[in-house]
Amino acid sequence: MNKGTSLNNDASENMRRSDEPIWWGLFSAGGVCFAVFVPAAILFIALLIPAGIVGPDALRFERAHSMVFSLPGLIFIGMVICLPLFHAAHRIRHGLHDLKLGTEHLNKVATYGGAALLSVLALVGFAIGIL
Amino acid sequence: MAKRTSYFPELKRNWWLKHPYFKKYMAREATVLPLVFFLLCLLAGLYSLLQGAESWQGWLTFMQSPLVIAVNALAFIASLFHAWTFFQLFPRVMPLRAGGRTLPPNLMVLGQWFGVVVVMVLAAWIFMRGL
Repeated sequence: MNKGTSLNNDASENMRRSDEPIWWGLFSAGGVCFAVFVPAAILFIALLIPAGIVGPDALRFERAHSMVFSLPGLIFIGMVICLPLFHAAHRIRHGLHDLKLGTEHLNKVATYGGAALLSVLALVGFAIGIL
Repeated sequence: MAKRTSYFPELKRNWWLKHPYFKKYMAREATVLPLVFFLLCLLAGLYSLLQGAESWQGWLTFMQSPLVIAVNALAFIASLFHAWTFFQLFPRVMPLRAGGRTLPPNLMVLGQWFGVVVVMVLAAWIFMRGL
């Protein structure tokens, strides 16, 4: 009897399609956005403008409104909010595992679920704004 | 079935404190914590923008509070640290070949930093035009 083959058959019968490539893909895409787009977003929105180094009119209401609720605004939400959220979820999930906190399943649902929920919230906010 | 007798050392929760390399690894995992704070700030900004000019002004004032600026400054540093580690992966994961030769990894890392600078210049133009 060929033991190796029977083992392989058992394995393929039990094998379910993994969802890891999806999370890995979102993590990588979010990682690129976190590295390339997020630094500039933090620098201007959260540091230079609040500190008054860049003019206070830069984010006045009408200007901010027309900037956010537009096609570039949607691209901004996708690249600076949604994808980095999934990147963060992946790292928090693995960080919890490294610190031996929670359980695999619970951490996965909580982190990716949280990222999905906040992403939907951002997209719903965008949709309300353009309607 | 024979009882498994091999030795499995138990991993303690503070394992990563025992070597500088593991500390750096955990620091990189932790870069997403201030990132999540910044993303929640952006989401709050999106919804205050939907609620009108007064609410938006309240959000701008919130972004000016010293503690918020401090955490976002940490997020900015974290994003650059993440970028530094992330850019080193690209030449390893996807070595680019030009003219039959592999591009030097340093050149690829430099190219990605150039991308960060271009995005910052673009952000400066977006936020400062017409001021």
